[in-house]
Amino acid sequence: MISVKLKLIYTCLLFLISTSVNAVDARQLIKDAIDHFRGLTSYSEASMIIHRPDWQRSMDMKIWTQGLDRSLVRVTAPKKDMGNGSLLIDDDMWSYTPKINKVIKIPSSMAHQSWMGSDFSNNDVARADDLIEKYSHKILETRQQDGVTIYVIESVPHEDAPVVWGKEILTVRDDHVLLEHKFYDQDGILVKQLTTLEIKFIAGKNLATIERMQKVDAQGEWTEFRLHHIEFDADINKSTFTLSNLRNPRF
Amino acid sequence: MSHITSLLMSLAWRNLWRNKRRTLVILFAIVLGVWAMIFTAAFMRGMSSQILSDTINNLTGHIQIHSKQYLDDPVIDHRFSLIDDQLFESLNNVLIKQTSSRVRVPAVIVSERESTGLVMVGINPDNENGMSFLQSSIVEGRYLKDENDSGIIIGRKLAERLETRLGKRVVIMSQDKDNKIVDRGFRIVGIFDTQMEALETGYIFMGLQTSEDLLNIKNEVSEVSILLHDMNQLDELVADLQQQNPHLDVQGWAQLEPMSRVIIELYDSFHLVWHLIVFLAMGFGIVNTLLMSVFERTREFGLFQSLGLKPGFIMGQVWVESTLLLMLGLFLGNIIAWWSVLATGEGIDVSAFAQGMEMANLSNIIPFVIITKDLVLANSVVIILGMLTSIYPAWRASRLVPADAITRV
Repeated sequence: MISVKLKLIYTCLLFLISTSVNAVDARQLIKDAIDHFRGLTSYSEASMIIHRPDWQRSMDMKIWTQGLDRSLVRVTAPKKDMGNGSLLIDDDMWSYTPKINKVIKIPSSMAHQSWMGSDFSNNDVARADDLIEKYSHKILETRQQDGVTIYVIESVPHEDAPVVWGKEILTVRDDHVLLEHKFYDQDGILVKQLTTLEIKFIAGKNLATIERMQKVDAQGEWTEFRLHHIEFDADINKSTFTLSNLRNPRF
Repeated sequence: MSHITSLLMSLAWRNLWRNKRRTLVILFAIVLGVWAMIFTAAFMRGMSSQILSDTINNLTGHIQIHSKQYLDDPVIDHRFSLIDDQLFESLNNVLIKQTSSRVRVPAVIVSERESTGLVMVGINPDNENGMSFLQSSIVEGRYLKDENDSGIIIGRKLAERLETRLGKRVVIMSQDKDNKIVDRGFRIVGIFDTQMEALETGYIFMGLQTSEDLLNIKNEVSEVSILLHDMNQLDELVADLQQQNPHLDVQGWAQLEPMSRVIIELYDSFHLVWHLIVFLAMGFGIVNTLLMSVFERTREFGLFQSLGLKPGFIMGQVWVESTLLLMLGLFLGNIIAWWSVLATGEGIDVSAFAQGMEMANLSNIIPFVIITKDLVLANSVVIILGMLTSIYPAWRASRLVPADAITRV
């Protein structure tokens, strides 16, 4: 009798340990993937292509980031969008338009609306760290492909997490490159997905250089983010991320 | 004297039935007129009582207490503390039947596919019972269990618009007391359905404590809604509460919902106008018929006078005739109106015009309500104006010159 009980406790313990190890692992993988392209600080030059069935436009931008909490984005081309900026401090976001010379705080009501007209929402841009803290993670699948290990991770938001998705499925390589990020609704239907289309070795590591965000029920509409140049751990201090710099055309 | 009066009465009564058809026709006109007055009054009264009860049910109550600036700018900044001895004291008033405190702030609700702005209301489900439409309007799922309930209740139209449904999670965003954005996921535990779309799409409900936690406030609310035992004591209580709590804003439903008040006042003041219009049509009929019967009896009146009846009595006789006619008409009209109101039962269903009715703040079933004031008004309009108009034919009858009248064929 006792031995049966012990056995039961033992298996329970084993189960607990294995799941917790698993959870840490999955969470760590995601955290590493996010840190991987952000670094402690970074300065990058990129462009964003917004594609629609009957038109397409492209924007060039410079991006400064510090950790997950602070970033400053400045549009450099085309001319009509030049100078537009977007500043993120913690959970607050501001945008600046030189044409009207106004800084606007993005209200909560707009958090789920599109960022600079793209398929990314303001929240996609601002709240990446939620993915680490407010979800439970589980490794669904581990596979070997072209000499690297690929993890498929299912992230389910906590009951009270400010997330509408039923689950998100991330595919991450063991060198921390995010291959795919799928967003499912609560019925398990795919709503939108972020796919990495090109990986290059720049700034000393493998990085996703072309990423595409696409909504499933709007075929022919997507936004591509192309990374041209990036410097990690660049000399950026906290004072870069201020409202006055958001207005400052040198940034 | 009384002998003469009873003579006049029996003469008048018999005279009425000398020409049955004519009397019945004019009687029919009076009955129809009275019926139309009372029935329409009951309908309008029904509409205004419906508007009033809807207004009070739609989270208004009889009286509301807010912080001073809340009504101009209903945001989280304009809240007030419930731990306030003075307020507590003054709410402990015998006139008050029930109170409910609510957090009521603008928020955004987000589903996987849509997002929209609305008003988030934190309630204590027990206190809210009987004060607002919510509990009786739940069509799917359940009502809130207590003020810590972690679920929310949303409207059916809103659920459709957000492409979500019972049991799914949505995100609610708002601003906390420091104006920082706060958001949280909530599971939909109930769906409510009202006849008014604006309510279904404009409000979500959650536990009071849950909403306070979300907004980082404690024992503070946006409003206290009050229900009275007797609505006639409203002004008195408003004045008392305001005097006892000078730092707060105390208002009755009429100030909170001026639109409803104006509509109700409009309906009320229209009663008399409508009665006069109906009477105008009816009055001409009465005068005309009486005149006709007077002219027909020229010879008879001449004879009466020759025999020594004074003109005053002749006038009185005609007048009594018309009064009898009016009273008979009123009696029958009231009975028929009463009966037809009873026959409509709950009221008439106007759901075919639901959208139009909604614009007028009305719901789909309009009850008929008869109140004494309306009955008295309709009856007195008919009897007083009727007696006044029959003075003319009676006067004509008394002015006949006997010699002429007798010789007239």
